[in-house]
Amino acid sequence: MTQLQGAIAATRFGMGARPGEIAAASSDARGWLKAQIKASAAAIPDNGLLSTKQVYEARREIQMENGMAPGAPGAPQPVRGQNQQPGQPTEAQRTINQMIQRESREGLQKEVAARGRHAASTDTSFAERWARFWANHFTVAARNAQIIGLVGPFEREAIRPNVFGNFGTLLGASSFHPGMLVYLDAARSIGPTTEAAKRRDAGLNENLAREIMELHTLGVGSGYTQADIIEFAKALTGWTIGGPQTARLAGIRPNAAGNGRQQRALREVAQEMQREAGEAIFVEQLHEPGSRTVLGKTYPGAKGQASAILDDLVMSPATAHHIATKLARHFVADHPPESAIKKIETAWMKSNADLSAVARAVIDLDEAWAEQPVKFKQPEELLISVARATGEDSAFGRDQRAVYQSLAQQPFSAPSPAGWPDDTASWSGADAIKKRLEWANSVSRRMSRAMTPSEFLDRALGPIAGTRTRQAVSRAESAEQGFTLALMSPEFQRR
Amino acid sequence: MTLALNSFALNRRHLLLAGFSATFISAGAANAATPESKGRKLVVIILRGAMDGMAALPKIDDPDIRAHRASLIDPKAIALSDGFALHSAMPKLAALYQAKQAAFVPAIAGPYRERSHFEAQDLLECGGVKSVSDDGWLNRALQKAPAAYSAVSIGPSQPLILRGASTHTSSWSPPVLPEASDDTLNRLMDLYESDPVLKASLTAAVGAEAVAGSMAGDKSMGGGRGGGPAQYTPQLQAAGKFLAQPDGPEIAVVSLEGWDTHTGQNGALQQRFTALDNGIDALRTQLGDTWKNTAVMAISEFGRTVRVNGGQGTDHGTGGLAILAGGAIKGGRMYGDWPTLKAAALYENRDLTPAVDARSVFKGLLRDQLGWAANDLDSKIFADSAVAKPMGGLV
Repeated sequence: MTQLQGAIAATRFGMGARPGEIAAASSDARGWLKAQIKASAAAIPDNGLLSTKQVYEARREIQMENGMAPGAPGAPQPVRGQNQQPGQPTEAQRTINQMIQRESREGLQKEVAARGRHAASTDTSFAERWARFWANHFTVAARNAQIIGLVGPFEREAIRPNVFGNFGTLLGASSFHPGMLVYLDAARSIGPTTEAAKRRDAGLNENLAREIMELHTLGVGSGYTQADIIEFAKALTGWTIGGPQTARLAGIRPNAAGNGRQQRALREVAQEMQREAGEAIFVEQLHEPGSRTVLGKTYPGAKGQASAILDDLVMSPATAHHIATKLARHFVADHPPESAIKKIETAWMKSNADLSAVARAVIDLDEAWAEQPVKFKQPEELLISVARATGEDSAFGRDQRAVYQSLAQQPFSAPSPAGWPDDTASWSGADAIKKRLEWANSVSRRMSRAMTPSEFLDRALGPIAGTRTRQAVSRAESAEQGFTLALMSPEFQRR
Repeated sequence: MTLALNSFALNRRHLLLAGFSATFISAGAANAATPESKGRKLVVIILRGAMDGMAALPKIDDPDIRAHRASLIDPKAIALSDGFALHSAMPKLAALYQAKQAAFVPAIAGPYRERSHFEAQDLLECGGVKSVSDDGWLNRALQKAPAAYSAVSIGPSQPLILRGASTHTSSWSPPVLPEASDDTLNRLMDLYESDPVLKASLTAAVGAEAVAGSMAGDKSMGGGRGGGPAQYTPQLQAAGKFLAQPDGPEIAVVSLEGWDTHTGQNGALQQRFTALDNGIDALRTQLGDTWKNTAVMAISEFGRTVRVNGGQGTDHGTGGLAILAGGAIKGGRMYGDWPTLKAAALYENRDLTPAVDARSVFKGLLRDQLGWAANDLDSKIFADSAVAKPMGGLV
């Protein structure tokens, strides 16, 4: 029985058992998991990976080296959306954009590799699963050239350091990170009555405000209105990314003539903005002035306005319910029992959204320790669990991109801000199963013959592997076929 | 009712199936033809992300359109009829309209009135009014089909619209890695005997592969994940290939992603409209003779704001646009009414007010194209939908 507890801890709560891990977790499975509740356990070694600031610096260097000062009229605009109007880019701009794109793609590949390696080797894989849950909750996906370079830094800077802290801290770090501001268009959203908006014929973009309420906090259908979204979007205006382009947008010119107090102040602001390139900053000139009313409460204007609204969203019971449901779905079942949701909700409210307390409550859910695995693994989970059991990364295949693409889950590339779906039906369609079989069939040819397929079952699943699967695997006509059946077995496809 | 696979072409894999699943292949199941369908086909294209219908088909004679969105109107749009013009990136669709093989339903929307993509897509696919169910309306339709119809979706994941109790569904995308041997497949079938979910999926996959046979190895066919505009043509071609098979499925579902244009809309849509235009044309070519019996419907979860936003884009709106095409469609005309763009006529002073319930179009096509019974449409397939009467005369 305790072996089973250890196996559940390592596979359902963790990312899959490494050799010996089931035994190590078995004496005190819940304690083994709770020992992983610390910020350092969710960190990823970032040797060689760029910070957001470095990504922007690298872009700037490319621009400088190619004779285009950033922010100059016609220069490539780091925060602009896809196919921004007006005007077509010149040949030089296209070259620069291509170079930036190439560098971003290389950066993304490094991020994918580092993240996969870490998940395959970490001995705190519950913390890893927990971090990935929140990264998916606050999805920033590599949708286009402007965002590709930022998805990795976003997860490492905004998400991972905060997943065992207060939810409010995590929400703030996510909402005001350049990655999120670009991904959900807030970096280009301008208070509609500001001078900047009139000058630019630009204005409000409600995307981030909507998704924070719908996806990150309250949840859809929880009672907020379109008017609340617009008010919140106005409160979020002014939050953007430092850099010369933002300075121009705000009408702040570093070389403004004159020696009046106002001009000097403007110059100082402009210089500061140069220094802050690639940082999330608040620019008053872009912020819609005045108080805002969201969900019946009035918030006075300026810099602290959006944060004050976020603080109240954190403490809303709707947020507790929305996130408790998602957590229960992730750790218990696609349709989790009310009892499980309620327990997480209670821990959330009692601890004022302290995610360490919430994590402990999830581990303590009796509902999550059912004998049979019911959660269907997503493709990334499947690959990582093979790599963990074998200690090899053959699971990822020779061409990682192609394997991820075939299984329809390219890391950092969720199809929408809602993130990857977390239910069986989304991943178990006919073609998906066929692709998994093709994958298993090709991986099994490369798996080390140092262990037999039955030993693989022992290591990876322990007592979770049922008689039927054990028999099928042991009766296979070749080691290859045995591995294929083990990888495709109902127990290994689930957690 | 017989298994979809059974009506698909036979190949070596088909022989495997007979052995393991007697429940599917019921007595007298040599159905092969489905006479009720008379070779008619339905293609449902879900344009995910909310296409700006007013950019695709601006009502250029609406006196208020320029005040709302002058910068979003294509100056080269091709005039069609009734004051509507089609974006110039879709010349082939315009030609189909002139040939009376394409039509449009402006200001269309489901019963949903909020603006969440995800909830709206789920409701569009499950056919519900307020709450999302685990099964889609096309799956429920298959359970009540007038004959042993089957459906296929193109892409690695089965969309909600086809999920549910009916197993007459399959999904397909091209193989990337070498396939497993028949022996391995047989053993896996056996291993899945007590796992209904995996068993049903593997069964359907084998069936789809039997049809796709000649497509295997051709990676241009429906390749890659759902993906952007570059995938539109291969996905629609793959759908055409399935439908054109003798005894192939009656229904195909294709998801085309990338329509959420919050910023820089004109450039993004130029690319997507071009890809959609080419994709529908490729579907027509692939279908060959079958095109004349085919109805294609493309629809989004909702429309977009009437006014341009701060980033030369549009935000989530309400009334959208359905595109109808195919030899079976009574084309060359606009269906429904135009609610106008007067400030007072806008929904919540921002969106195009819906004039047609999307379920009316779904029901009209199911009834008139493929012969579903009206009372099943009103209750079992689209619960509580009597208010949305089937739209007649589409085919």
